[in-house]
Amino acid sequence: MIRTIQVALVLREAVTTPYPNLVTRPTGALVRDRIAAMLEEAECQVAILDFSAVACLDVSCADEIVAKLLLAVPRDAYVVVRGLDEEQREAVEQVLQRRQLAVVVADAPAADVVGWVTDDVRAAFVALAHAGGAGAAELARHLGWDEPRAAAALDVLAAHRVVRRGADGRCHPLQAA
Amino acid sequence: MHVCPVPSTFDDRTLDQFAAGLPPWPPAGRLLVDAHGVTWTSPHGLVALLTLGQWVQEHGGEKPRLALPESEDVRRYWAAAGFVDHAEACYELHGRRPRGRPSGHSETMLEVTKVGAAEDVHEIVARIQTRASALLVGELGLEAKATMGFAMALSEACQNIVEHAGTSGWVAVQAYHYRQRLARKVAVIAVSDAGMGFRASLEATQARNFGDRWRDGTAIEAALLRGTSRFRDPGRGQGLQGIRRYVSRWEGKLSVRSGTARLAMVPAWDDEPPLAEALPFFPGAQVQITIPGKDTARA
Repeated sequence: MIRTIQVALVLREAVTTPYPNLVTRPTGALVRDRIAAMLEEAECQVAILDFSAVACLDVSCADEIVAKLLLAVPRDAYVVVRGLDEEQREAVEQVLQRRQLAVVVADAPAADVVGWVTDDVRAAFVALAHAGGAGAAELARHLGWDEPRAAAALDVLAAHRVVRRGADGRCHPLQAA
Repeated sequence: MHVCPVPSTFDDRTLDQFAAGLPPWPPAGRLLVDAHGVTWTSPHGLVALLTLGQWVQEHGGEKPRLALPESEDVRRYWAAAGFVDHAEACYELHGRRPRGRPSGHSETMLEVTKVGAAEDVHEIVARIQTRASALLVGELGLEAKATMGFAMALSEACQNIVEHAGTSGWVAVQAYHYRQRLARKVAVIAVSDAGMGFRASLEATQARNFGDRWRDGTAIEAALLRGTSRFRDPGRGQGLQGIRRYVSRWEGKLSVRSGTARLAMVPAWDDEPPLAEALPFFPGAQVQITIPGKDTARA
């Protein structure tokens, strides 16, 4: 099951202040707990966190909500974020790098992976997103790499849970899943 | 009575001069903070004055006296910036209370505001949003995306107080012409608290790693340059890193003073040394974020 969560709406329900700002760690922890409960209740496999109605997202809140949620969700669940402006995206990237995590940002013009990723891993994700899915051999051909290099990049993407690996070994980027 | 003269131009630089005039603690008598000759004050100066008054009382001292400036214009500015209301709690005020509005060129984006809890940070960020866009975009000529980062930096600077100081603090935000070094308008966030300071905050987890080199300067370095925090959670200590990122993008300046040291991320337009140590002691921690307006000569 895929569930889209409007983070600004969760914020309004979680705190009494009328402001659309995700600031401070206590606020971030409250919002994360609510989101985690919603996902558990819905037995959700893919959660899309939509930040589009959030005005300000500070680094502390980004850590509490995105980074700690990624650490808390079950191994078979996936998280995608969208609706981030440039500043918010940088805040998310900073906190994920610190914790060596990564997440798919599904915003225009194309989905991207943000966080603790090398250039190789990012290139592999972009290629997968373009192709809709691929195995190591196919990805290697597409990027002009040798197969071990492509396989290593796919392993990292799968470990970060930004792609889903099928029984046939092919990996599918989350936004196309 | 020990008289502590306030420099005529009181900002982050002249705070050292002011601190040098403070007596050893505990003072022999009551403090008189003499602002009689003050002709200009930055928001940094205002929040630092409140910090001193708060710190003296929280350390068992008698409520200090504060002689208000002789200049009617400066007094009006102090009142308009919200300083005088808060100063009543920190000082016994002497001198004529201001009437009317100041005639200066400064624009207060956020009046002097007390910061003691996470709820205060929400309120502060909400208040700045209504003014930040008009001033950063309209007056400083920056791109619209500068506004959200400004609110983020303000939030993180204030959270440093809530999370680490062990007491409350103060914030003020203002835009003014920075003629001394830049000949451009700047937006300045000034945050100050009377708390334990960076060194004491990090002492338990970091002092051993630094050995003999452990002092105020190394503590600020650990927090500002390496994102070290007193918390064991590896995700903590990122607020100052976020501020650094924002300041760097907009060619701004970030300065952190605590105890006897000051560390600054210095842009090309400024000449302050990145690290100053063995400064006169001033209580707590002071953070200043300076974002310059667009360089119209280069545009």
